[in-house]
Amino acid sequence: MLVLLGLAVLITYLWSLPKPWHPDPRTLAELAREIVLPLYMGFLLPVICLGYASAAIADERTGETLVYLLTTNIPRPLVYLSKYAAALILTLGMALGGLGSLCLVPGKIGLEALGVFWPVTACATAAYVGLFLLFSAWVRRATFLSLAYALMIETLTGNIPGFVKRITVSFYAKSWLYESGEMLELAAKGVALSLFDPVSAATAQWVLGLASAGFIVLGMWIFSRKEYD
Amino acid sequence: MSSESTTMTALAEVRNVSKWFGPVMALNGVSLEIGSGITGLVGPNGAGKTTLLRLLTGQIKPSLGGIDVCGRDAWSPRAKDHIGLCPFGDATWDELSGRQLVRVTAGLRGFTGAEARRRAEAVLETVGMVDRANRPVRTYSKGMRQRIKLGQALIHDPDMLVLDEPLNGVDPVGCEELNDLFRTLAAQGKAVLVSSHILHEMDQLADRILFVCRGKLLASGPLEEIRDMLDDHPLKVRISCESPRWIGPQLLTLESVKSVSIETPRDLLLEVQNPSRFYAEFCEFAAGNDAQVQRFKATDTSTEAVFDYLMERAVRPE
Repeated sequence: MLVLLGLAVLITYLWSLPKPWHPDPRTLAELAREIVLPLYMGFLLPVICLGYASAAIADERTGETLVYLLTTNIPRPLVYLSKYAAALILTLGMALGGLGSLCLVPGKIGLEALGVFWPVTACATAAYVGLFLLFSAWVRRATFLSLAYALMIETLTGNIPGFVKRITVSFYAKSWLYESGEMLELAAKGVALSLFDPVSAATAQWVLGLASAGFIVLGMWIFSRKEYD
Repeated sequence: MSSESTTMTALAEVRNVSKWFGPVMALNGVSLEIGSGITGLVGPNGAGKTTLLRLLTGQIKPSLGGIDVCGRDAWSPRAKDHIGLCPFGDATWDELSGRQLVRVTAGLRGFTGAEARRRAEAVLETVGMVDRANRPVRTYSKGMRQRIKLGQALIHDPDMLVLDEPLNGVDPVGCEELNDLFRTLAAQGKAVLVSSHILHEMDQLADRILFVCRGKLLASGPLEEIRDMLDDHPLKVRISCESPRWIGPQLLTLESVKSVSIETPRDLLLEVQNPSRFYAEFCEFAAGNDAQVQRFKATDTSTEAVFDYLMERAVRPE
């Protein structure tokens, strides 16, 4: 994970250097459009989340240590909730730390972007962790399922025109960002924005919140009923 | 087939439990009670022992029937207050030291701060690991791992200890030390359920035996009763001697011998009906006839053979 993050920081650094075809200093909107949205929100954030969340229960299963948790007197839903809290804290630290390092590489312009991006990142992280932890409670090889989901659903479906992309977490995160980032002209290109067809930031916040809660409740239900081998 | 002559206060009650995993029936209509003292759960590999232990510790639910531990459904968190499990296998959080591992387990059981430390030190003392408790668990031998796992199981002072093949892979000295520990715990009034696929491991240890094979409880009760049941167990015995053609017909006169065949010029193969009686009769015969026996070996005394016999008895029409 740290290697991926280091690579992203290096890419951002190289991007921010003045070039013959782009001698002017980078703007805030460019940082957001060219680095943070595609590289961080589109790839790094889901990978960070799946790295921690999908392993939370699946690793205990493959390591055969889950038995120690299942035979304590702690109710299973509470065990699941504790796992969620632990995975969320770890992932938030990594996700916000990663966002901070990417934004700060180009200098002062990144601070403003960080202010806009961090609440969206935090909420999207909560939803992703809920989803990937649910996979972890459901199947033994949760990392593969999460990876397939991240690549097939979030990356591919999330970027095609139409209504289908509304099943992805990233759609709502981006919708929220576009509205919050109006002053940054994140989605200033009218054609692109109409193709994306975002929902309002308020709707996106509701959906992300409800999705997180829904994933947690469903995960608790699966974990409290499932017989693990 | 089950025989139960002793009266006891049951800590765990298994009522007509069946368990399927897809098309595989792991347990079939098992009913039993477990009380204080050491109970040996014996059966060949794949008999359903681990399934029964997982049901008792609330890891899985029965497909049919019910299981109570101290009056509560085994699946419920309250029942787990009364049970300590020492699972099969070595898996644990290896990066921790033995002391840290036991303290983490104390935390999982709801003990914190000074109470967690006090309990951890007490169980480390009980399992004899105080001096090695600061080493990482990954450096432990098999016997030390079993001890530290036992420490984890004891941290909340449970009424019932469930030990899944605790002697598997442990050297003879370690086995004897662990057995002493189990006896001490049983003497304190705890119910200790020990599973094993090796019958003789239970000889000196268990007060009662539960025989499980192919998902069925074939027999249960004190070891002496089981031994009585096994008296009819047919046994094959190979004898090497100087003059098998002379001894063979003589042996046929013994009541316990069903048949005699000459396998090689020096070897006889006997089929005997009642092993205990045969051993007594053969000793008398050998001493009285100067039989010059060079080698004497029972060929099918394995646990599997005993279980096959019990299984045969279970399905044999009366």
